[in-house]
Amino acid sequence: MAEHHIDLSQSPPVVTIDHCRTVTELFLNRVQQYPDKVALREKDFGLWNEYSWSQYGDYARLTGLGLIALGLKRGDVCSVASEVCKEWLFADQGIVSVGGVTNGVYPTDAPNQVKYLITDSGTRFYFAEDEEQLDKVLQVRQHTPTLEKIIIFDMEGLRRLDDSMCMSFDALLELGRNFAREHPEVWEQEIHAADPEDLMVLTYTSGTTGPPKGAMISHRNMMYMMVTLQRIYNVSEKDEQLAFLPLAHVAGRVFYISLVLESCSVINLVEDAETMIQDLQEISPTLHFAVPRVWEKQYSTVAIMLKEGTALGRFAYDCAIAIGENVALFRLQGKSVPLVQRLLFFLAEHMVLKNIRRMLGINNCRILSTAAAPVAPELIKWFWSLGKPMYEVYGQTECTGIVTSNRPDALRIGSVGKSTEDAEVELSAENEIKIRSPGVITGYWNKPEKTADTIQHDWLYTGDVGRLDEDGFVYIIDRINDIIITSGGKNITPSEIENQLKFSPFISDAVIVGDKRPYLTCLVMIDQENVTKFAQDNDVPFTSYTSLCHTTEIQDLVWQEIEKVNQKFARVETIKKFSLIDQLLDPEDEELTPTMKLKRKVVNEKYADMVNKMYQPDRTAT
Amino acid sequence: MSLLELTNIETCYGPIMAIRGISMQIEAQGITVLLGANGAGKTTVLKTICGAMDPQKGRVRFDGKEIQKWDPDGVARLGIGHVPEGREIFPFLSVNENLIMGAYSRTDRHVEEDLDMVYDFFPVLKEKHGHQAGYLSGGQQQMLAIGRGMMMRPVLMLLDEPSLGLSPRLVSEITQIIKRLVDEQEMTILLVEQNAGMALDIGNFGYVLELGHIVMEGTCERLRESTDIQEFYLGLKDEGVRGGRRWKRRKTWR
Repeated sequence: MAEHHIDLSQSPPVVTIDHCRTVTELFLNRVQQYPDKVALREKDFGLWNEYSWSQYGDYARLTGLGLIALGLKRGDVCSVASEVCKEWLFADQGIVSVGGVTNGVYPTDAPNQVKYLITDSGTRFYFAEDEEQLDKVLQVRQHTPTLEKIIIFDMEGLRRLDDSMCMSFDALLELGRNFAREHPEVWEQEIHAADPEDLMVLTYTSGTTGPPKGAMISHRNMMYMMVTLQRIYNVSEKDEQLAFLPLAHVAGRVFYISLVLESCSVINLVEDAETMIQDLQEISPTLHFAVPRVWEKQYSTVAIMLKEGTALGRFAYDCAIAIGENVALFRLQGKSVPLVQRLLFFLAEHMVLKNIRRMLGINNCRILSTAAAPVAPELIKWFWSLGKPMYEVYGQTECTGIVTSNRPDALRIGSVGKSTEDAEVELSAENEIKIRSPGVITGYWNKPEKTADTIQHDWLYTGDVGRLDEDGFVYIIDRINDIIITSGGKNITPSEIENQLKFSPFISDAVIVGDKRPYLTCLVMIDQENVTKFAQDNDVPFTSYTSLCHTTEIQDLVWQEIEKVNQKFARVETIKKFSLIDQLLDPEDEELTPTMKLKRKVVNEKYADMVNKMYQPDRTAT
Repeated sequence: MSLLELTNIETCYGPIMAIRGISMQIEAQGITVLLGANGAGKTTVLKTICGAMDPQKGRVRFDGKEIQKWDPDGVARLGIGHVPEGREIFPFLSVNENLIMGAYSRTDRHVEEDLDMVYDFFPVLKEKHGHQAGYLSGGQQQMLAIGRGMMMRPVLMLLDEPSLGLSPRLVSEITQIIKRLVDEQEMTILLVEQNAGMALDIGNFGYVLELGHIVMEGTCERLRESTDIQEFYLGLKDEGVRGGRRWKRRKTWR
């Protein structure tokens, strides 16, 4: 158990973990203290290969020294464009340790986004996962004057690559090895040269207006986030996680790199985004953080399987989940569970619930956690009924991750919990949530006016509207810019309705429209797998995804799902019409975020015709 | 109404589901193309139509009649001719006998006329009418297989990879024949092809099959324009800035 110390009386605040003030020192400490302990696992040809802390340290050292040999100066930005892989972690730790700044690029980013990220951040060294990522940079490099070297992790298919700007990751390590031989002292010198206020990570966030902004995360910000995560999740060195969220995202980074470093726990890297469920079953992590979309998918998998199952199976599930719900109710209120209920739950768990949890890969989890997007409270309750505690937390990139959390001792479903220790959460006059904590970033990279808009007198204005109850629990209402005011003057928070819609196994995501309009409508993205299955089971003829969306049966199906949701809301909040997005979207499409959420603004613009149609008066047949 | 209509067809080989819910419509007198990689389920679709395999689920409607549980001979009598992949001619029979076999189910008196018509289509076959079919060249065997199919006077002809293993010149010859079948004989053709360039050139409407699902449909002009079809079926790919790009784009089927 690491020793934490936070001193807020000083300016800037001081955060130490095991007497280390910077992430680099802490990393060195872990490498020296636990050289033989497993730090990460990666699957290769079907086998989970283990890497110890000393190996993690070696790779990081060689990467860092290799970059110095290439001419890296403290404060230089290096970008990493890759799916989750061990080289990502090695490169990142290497960059940071020698005073560089890591900027994660989503592997799904298009070439013009890559160009923007390189130019805006002033990237000198670019790490590309493979041929595909390399080609994107090569396409734009004539417009990126700062770029000097591209380092490629996986050289498959690039044997004949002859380009003075490109080199393999292995060649970089070799450079580092030679450099280390001549200057063995440089590594530790660089590690100790870091100041807690030094910039460590740039994380680009897509603003609702203008191009993405690079949030500047310092060592101190990150150290504070490690302490916060440790306080919430109480992670020990025995804990295991599965890394599957993009490491360019702040959540991926703090859970898979920072928290692991703080607690010396183990991180298992997903083999491929598509094998997530299988990897989850194999690894069976003890702590699992995911975004709502993943949890929604888990729920709908079970819901669909039940529909296919036998009547007996459904009966067993209904009984078991009812018992689970009952027990969860006691637990959620912090009461002890009566003996009878406990006996019933024992039976339900062993006969039904455990199998479901095993199938979902969460059976060994101590804690499930969700954030990064709004989630339906029913979904959280469902996981509690399965017998697994799920805690919703809240935060954003600009505060380096989490700022409020539900915890075993302070839990209210539907809220995002109370503010974490050493952080303050208040509401502005407009009910905008504002935050002050040692995790709040110093600003946006090269964007002083945006920084001044967002951070005022140490307070971070989140752009989220919320409320606080009498016990300090925070409830998020919506993004301030997303609140819909209908032409009738009613204020409507779309995310609440959207969450209910997404709870349907047939709806993957939805965007409510209705600002300055007489009534609400919505654009729906269907869940391809489940809707296809529905069509097949009900003899609905269709060919492609587009034709599936246009069948009357599917339109009716979605309308029924919407009607179910409509019943839960007041009249002005009901959806009057809807349209299906009839193209199968891919994360590379601009409509989707890398975590497969619809982008409200882009969707509204791109499907403007579809939206306008929903507001034209019905033409009745004459 | 379409001549042939498949709705929600599912066909399995034992425990393996090869077709996972396919619906398609084939209009009379035209060429409908079915594209797909190896193992996509193209041949299975044809076998399901002609009755060689029974679907687990779904309907096949030909000319208003539901035929999904019919035996192949019944389906053939109804006017669906199947020219199988790999020709499957009778090697020990002569060319002439092979063609006569094609008319086995017919009871009318016009078989002789049709034999002349086939010989007119394929003069090479007439030259070799007495030869044992097994000694014909690959292209001639393919012609024989098509000729045998024509002898049945089908309304709908299912053609499974007629260009398989043929030289480019023979491929274009076969292509011309297929076109003539539609134009002169008023036949409807369902063409399964790996040679997507050729198929899209002569087809009217096309479906793309992948892992037992239809992922794309459209007129052949539209399919030819699609970047996915160009890269994955026509081999036209953007070589990228570096040249020699090896990685594959994600398919979006638009």
